[in-house]
Amino acid sequence: MGRISFIERVLRGLLLTLIVIFFLFPIFWILLMSFQTNEQILRIPPSLTFIPTLDNYKALISGHLVTSAGTLDIAFMRNLGNSVLLSTCSVVLALILGVPAAYAFARFKFRMSEDIAFTLLSFRFAPPLLVLLPLSLFFESLGLVDTYVGLIWVYQLIALPLILWIVRGYFEDISSDIENAYRIAGHSWARTFFKIAVPLAGPGIAAAGLLSFIFCWNNFVFALVLASADKQPVTVGALAFVTASGIQYGQVAAAIVLSVTPTLLLALYAQRWLVEGLSLGAVKG
Amino acid sequence: MAQIEVRNLCKSFRDDAVLKGLSLSVDKGEIVALFGPSGTGKTVLLRLLAGIYAPDDGTIGLRGRDASGSPPEKRGIGMAFQNFALFPHMTARDNIASALTARKMDAAKIQRKVGAVARLLKIDHVLGHSPRELSNGQKQRTALARALVGEPDILLLDDPLRNVDAKLRYEMRLELPTLLKRAGSTVLYVTQDFKEAMALGDRIAVLLDGAIAQCDTPARIYAEPVCIGVARLFGDPTLNLVEVQPQLVDDVPEVRVGGAAIRLPASYAAAVGGNFTLGLRPESLHLVDGHAPGTIAVDLVAVTPLNEKSVLLFTMDGGNELLASEAGDRGAPRRIGPSRLALDLDTVLLFDRDSGRRFIPAGKVGAKS
Amino acid sequence: MTSQPIDDSVRVVHRRPIEWLPYILSLPALLVCVGILIPFITALYYSTLRFRLNLPALKGFIWFGNYTNLLYDPEFWNTVGVSLRYTAISVGVELLLGLIVALLLQRQTRINNMISVLLLLPLMTAPAIAALMWKLMTNPNFGVLSYLVSLAGISDFRWASSPSSALFTVILVDVWVYTPFIMVLLLAGLRSLPQQPFEAAALDGVPRLFVFFRITLPMLSPYIITASLFRLLDAIQQFDIVYAMTQGGPGNTLLVFQVRAYLEFYQYTNVGKSAALLVVLWAITYFLSNIFIKNWLRLRERSHASA
Repeated sequence: MGRISFIERVLRGLLLTLIVIFFLFPIFWILLMSFQTNEQILRIPPSLTFIPTLDNYKALISGHLVTSAGTLDIAFMRNLGNSVLLSTCSVVLALILGVPAAYAFARFKFRMSEDIAFTLLSFRFAPPLLVLLPLSLFFESLGLVDTYVGLIWVYQLIALPLILWIVRGYFEDISSDIENAYRIAGHSWARTFFKIAVPLAGPGIAAAGLLSFIFCWNNFVFALVLASADKQPVTVGALAFVTASGIQYGQVAAAIVLSVTPTLLLALYAQRWLVEGLSLGAVKG
Repeated sequence: MAQIEVRNLCKSFRDDAVLKGLSLSVDKGEIVALFGPSGTGKTVLLRLLAGIYAPDDGTIGLRGRDASGSPPEKRGIGMAFQNFALFPHMTARDNIASALTARKMDAAKIQRKVGAVARLLKIDHVLGHSPRELSNGQKQRTALARALVGEPDILLLDDPLRNVDAKLRYEMRLELPTLLKRAGSTVLYVTQDFKEAMALGDRIAVLLDGAIAQCDTPARIYAEPVCIGVARLFGDPTLNLVEVQPQLVDDVPEVRVGGAAIRLPASYAAAVGGNFTLGLRPESLHLVDGHAPGTIAVDLVAVTPLNEKSVLLFTMDGGNELLASEAGDRGAPRRIGPSRLALDLDTVLLFDRDSGRRFIPAGKVGAKS
Repeated sequence: MTSQPIDDSVRVVHRRPIEWLPYILSLPALLVCVGILIPFITALYYSTLRFRLNLPALKGFIWFGNYTNLLYDPEFWNTVGVSLRYTAISVGVELLLGLIVALLLQRQTRINNMISVLLLLPLMTAPAIAALMWKLMTNPNFGVLSYLVSLAGISDFRWASSPSSALFTVILVDVWVYTPFIMVLLLAGLRSLPQQPFEAAALDGVPRLFVFFRITLPMLSPYIITASLFRLLDAIQQFDIVYAMTQGGPGNTLLVFQVRAYLEFYQYTNVGKSAALLVVLWAITYFLSNIFIKNWLRLRERSHASA
């Protein structure tokens, strides 16, 4: 590697710096904005030095905004709570349903398995509205309109394929002789599944779970179409928040920060498995 | 009543018929070595017995009862796998204990039994290690301990010494029979090494073409193989094969080997006129001086000293090669060149050239198969 | 399970016990599949209807009427054009940029690893929220980007509010969010390449540009193809970014497929037309995803073989 000339090394460093700035700047800037008052935000030229304030966050958390036009009640915390509830329950349900199914697909080669697996995979690439719009009409007749249950069930369409395809690979990588040995030692199939297969596939299950959580949290169109007003997660809520009149920009920025922080933190924690999850198990990181 | 009774077992994978009507009977307390070339279905048979696979046809009887439909955990069998199949997320101790935790046994008793079997196999000092930290030999003994700890009356061992280094393999070959006999279990031991089979088995079951060709004591398998396929699998170097057509000369059956006329015992009279292959064990060929009748003129081409024996390569008239082996290296250097070989007629084997079956000279009883 | 003593006279015929276990385990997955297929078939059905939610009495079969109407509808072709331009430009830029970044970061140093993790953050933000972030930054009154751009002498650059620059703005957001995806896949690919060809080339003194085009790129092609197809499939049906930014405006400059279908459904309550649009989009993605799945499976096998 000594063939890289000094100039080249400088250029590479420069290019990399520009790229890093491009990708990280918006997050940084919005974070900054969230600690600024309206006056500081509207100042031209924008300045990097200012006295930070926590007012925006306080307003969001308490739910009361003081604007020039008076006091507004914003239930953004409710959006945040909805996101947490929907994402967590969807992932938990998807794990309960998906891990045994992934095991069945990995261990038993039966005809239906490939059909199901591929239908779920191909849905990942189909336009979601194709399914969501008819579903929104069905929801009324099914009585699922203003429920969390309806949303959690529909969110399975996001989480389940991901879990199936990632965890299936992990089960396939476990030598079946290990499970056979446990069964011969006297244990039933169910015990073998819980004591041997699941622990050994643990990392994969964790990865799939974390990634599904991130994708459920970041989802927009499912909630836009199917969630009733008080059950909207932050993605839809933040948009509504922005278009409401009289909102202070600092509060919008704070809302954005609150919306993205959970997934960003999770992503940093789960970084080892991101490549694998993003490629649906095709590429090991 | 046999402990393991297999009748007409058939098993195919996709279009590949692996076992075709296999029958085998193992008595209580017996150690039977299941021997055959690789890929012939030995592991498949073990898995059928353990209940991992289900047979396409035929019956499996364990302890006198039909075992089909019985899941692996109910068959009361101990099994050691070729690749150990240890649980990577458990210590060696827990690996071994897993064979006992399915029963209602209190923890202290389990620990005692695990400790006892670990001491027996000399792995008690590594019980706290995970499989990753064990050497191959320790892994093999842990797998064996797991199979033994439950004191099963039926033991299936799938080539457990295969992945173990040569020195340990030799040691275990000496220790295992004592260990197994002490446990008193009925053992089916799979191996690809004929020496191992002869050393460990009360009987050897030779698996050829999806069925048991012969199941007999090591001595009888060696001396009275039922067909040429079985004979070829035993012996190092493998036996010499010469195509012959016995003729009656002066009322005595005679074959020509390398131009020499070899007179066979009268009990071979019925073989006259047929096409046969003569099997000559290397150790039954001896170098002799002189030109006595019944000796073969050969050319000594090469000598390979192997410490406990030497292997000599000869060529005969007609270009065929013969291998002879003799004990020791005799000290004196061998002279390459023309020599003469004599045969031991009582160890000679005659195989029908079409069917491969051994010709049984009059007066002898055929081997059990 | 029953066990009988073996009787020599009776030849027991064995039937393999029906393995019901895998079917029970996969039941939920099957239900979800059914849950997808029912609305899907319904949508197909709706696309053959004249169906407006505000005029339910007029509901009736018109077979391919919706589709032929689309063909004659200049708005439809506008949608096709915008979607194709959006897809082609954003994926093209992302590929190029992603490849460059992956090449810059391919050596496993602590700094490189740290940077590659940081660069994942835009990918992990919800695209709808990302659009909001950029909306704030391009705000004409206080947006930092508007300010910076004005410093460069371009006054009154209206970003997403102006028809001439709206596409540019949303593509910018798309590039910001999704380039890390390509980077991550290509980086994994680069790091998994065998070292011998490169060592041999270095020993032979092969010029680096040659190595790149004739060795690196071909070996990387399965990853490039998989990543591109993944992105193409997602870009042509992009909804979140466009909707959050301008809801399809200004005018019809950003009416990509799903945004158009959404507006047809909710604003014009024209279920039939909306369904037809979505079916057309689905046909395009179905065709693309078939190609994709083959490549993806191949990559997956390779990963599992070397695991």
